[in-house]
Amino acid sequence: MDPILLARIQFAANISFHILFPTITIALGWVLLFFKLRFNATRDEKWMDAYRFWVKVFALSFAMGVVSGITMSFQFGTNWPGFMERVGNIAGPLLAYEVLTAFFLEATFVAIMLFGLNRVPNWLHTLATFLVAFGTTMSAFWILVLNSWIHTPAGFELRDGVAHATDWLAIIFNPSMPYRLSHMLAASGLTVAFLLAGFSAWRWLRGDRAPGVQAALRTGVVMAAVLAPTQLLLGDLHGLNTLEHQPAKVAAMEGNWRTQGNVPLLLFAIPDEAARENRFEIGIPSGASLILRHSADGVVPGLDDFIGEHPPVAPVFYAFRLMVGTGMLMIGFGLLGAWFLWRRGELPRLMLWGFTAMTFAGWVATLAGWYVTEIGRQPWLVHGVLTTAEAAGPVPAANIAATLTMYLLLYALLLAAYVATLYRLAARGRMLPEAAPAARVPAE
Amino acid sequence: MTPFLPAEWLPLIFAGLMAASILAYVVLDGFDLGVGILLPRVAEEADRDRMIAAIGPFWDANETWLVLGVGLLLVAFPVAHGIVLTELYLPVAVMLIALTFRGVAFEFRAKAADLADKRRWDMAFFGGSLMAALSQGWMLGRYVLGFDPSLAAQGFAAMSAVGLAIAYVFIGAAWLVWRTEGALQERAIGWARKAIWPMGLGILLVSAVTPLVSERIFHRWFDFPAMLALAPLPLATAALLFGMAALLRHMPLPNDALRRVPFWGAVGLFCLFFAGLAWSFFPYVVPERLTIWQAASAPESLTIILIGALFVLPVILAYTVVAWRVFGGKAKALSYY
Repeated sequence: MDPILLARIQFAANISFHILFPTITIALGWVLLFFKLRFNATRDEKWMDAYRFWVKVFALSFAMGVVSGITMSFQFGTNWPGFMERVGNIAGPLLAYEVLTAFFLEATFVAIMLFGLNRVPNWLHTLATFLVAFGTTMSAFWILVLNSWIHTPAGFELRDGVAHATDWLAIIFNPSMPYRLSHMLAASGLTVAFLLAGFSAWRWLRGDRAPGVQAALRTGVVMAAVLAPTQLLLGDLHGLNTLEHQPAKVAAMEGNWRTQGNVPLLLFAIPDEAARENRFEIGIPSGASLILRHSADGVVPGLDDFIGEHPPVAPVFYAFRLMVGTGMLMIGFGLLGAWFLWRRGELPRLMLWGFTAMTFAGWVATLAGWYVTEIGRQPWLVHGVLTTAEAAGPVPAANIAATLTMYLLLYALLLAAYVATLYRLAARGRMLPEAAPAARVPAE
Repeated sequence: MTPFLPAEWLPLIFAGLMAASILAYVVLDGFDLGVGILLPRVAEEADRDRMIAAIGPFWDANETWLVLGVGLLLVAFPVAHGIVLTELYLPVAVMLIALTFRGVAFEFRAKAADLADKRRWDMAFFGGSLMAALSQGWMLGRYVLGFDPSLAAQGFAAMSAVGLAIAYVFIGAAWLVWRTEGALQERAIGWARKAIWPMGLGILLVSAVTPLVSERIFHRWFDFPAMLALAPLPLATAALLFGMAALLRHMPLPNDALRRVPFWGAVGLFCLFFAGLAWSFFPYVVPERLTIWQAASAPESLTIILIGALFVLPVILAYTVVAWRVFGGKAKALSYY
């Protein structure tokens, strides 16, 4: 098999597995801080109950994110040595700043946050919770700066094919960064909203109706109601930004082959790349033109303008529909759930089952979104600067295939263990204490 | 951005930062991995929990030094990073999978369904710790011999793998001597006693082979008068080994006196050994192939990282001290609240 494709699959497998966990920890850190601050203000034990349960979810997710993130820090170099050789002068400092300003902060204070409640004053524990949330967000900031830069590179010049930084502010605040960062932070918030609501609804249905469960459920539903419509707006802005900088990606997202006006918004189609047309189209007339150009006869660029330089159409097209479809469901659930909470103070049984089914909806939408943007970037690794093929390394296909198999088995095992553990924690609720009691010994 | 230092200084500073990060990683995660390797030696659940509790609050930050070390290699010496990680592709993959098991096992064992499940994650914890230690030792052996593909070089890498794992066991046991008490502490003293001489042999072996790798390294150690100036390195190593062995024979002492000494002695040994390696290979970042100046990336990028590092590293060190104080003393049960 083609070593470049193998290297891509391996990197994609690892980064897809990895992103599941930061997507949870980024927003969950802030939710934990919210629970902690509510407890500090009200002294109502329900907030501490919610904190105690969700901090365990945080701990497990954090560990999963750390170990898969370490793998990634190596794979940048092993899978894409050309990336570092050509744009390392840009990527290097951004990654270094992530390690320096985020990783150590999170890794050190997460210990105090998880195990420190009985050892440190309450204010220090609250501060540790804040610093962990801040650290995860800083980490997201730097990695999204780098990710945005490979989509919309700015602030550099090429000397002998190697990128050299000329303007760090332009690099950091590159054209797509604000859109991508806010889109991802909102995605994290939505993922956590549905995780909170989903597990709390499930516990509620099983008869675990502690005030802490209800508090987490309400928090999740309200977050969903606020963030889901916001995300629609942020996504739309991000799409317009992409249209400006990476029109071929948007053409693939819309399944639009020819540059023309009155482009329909396709609800369903089967893109046929060989024939360069769609089969079984169902669409809203002029919908894409309206969204992208704000007028029915607005001209939208088509894939035929980018022959040989556009991404594979089908995966981008389908992933985009999966993301938007999941997002629409989230808006529906969020608004309806909030309405029930507002009018009746509780959710009907059917809604509780619905939220249970939507527990991991955030993961689906987030992964689908990342596939849209990253597959949509192909054949470029750094848009207009470096192709993916140029960045691949000399590692033999057999080595990549062997390690890929190991990673896939590992990730399948860990994902199963992770989900099973979350359900067990939720089923066990607050009835049983955490680890087996170890001997208590006095401090030194 | 104009570099505020002569350009030839930057690679030197970054080589120093990278070496310091790798040394910090080897010492800090070394004791975590050593404790992981020792875990199946105890059968009592409470003792296992205490061993885990002794490293639980530290492992994550400890592992971050590896990210910083390899990150600095990647950003400051990208060409060397390409060569080294391509040569070590498979052992790196083994190490990453091992570290993954080790890292998640902390959480999964604490949240296990029942004792059998917990024991499975204990095995993952042990296996992950052992494989990570062995693969790191293997990489050290391969690196020292300049990635020589011969069978003899592979044999040396295998011995280096075992040697580093034993060294980790020693520093892990020494950590437990400091952080536990009672019967568990006595067992930790016993493990340290058993590991100290095999570790000494490993140090001797790698130290003896390194000068034979190249004439350059040989002359660097055995030319007069450098030899005299370097004599304190092996002498201090020997003194530390014999001193610690003597101390361990008499431990535990009344009032738990000198409980920290084996650990800090082990740190001293690791530093001496590392200094010896650094002296042998400097200024090469890929042995005998690529110097730090040949491999360095553009000065303006290194400058911007250095500015950040100068501000942030002291802060990192400060809050690391805070965390070590919060979790100082004998290991307590790790409760999430």
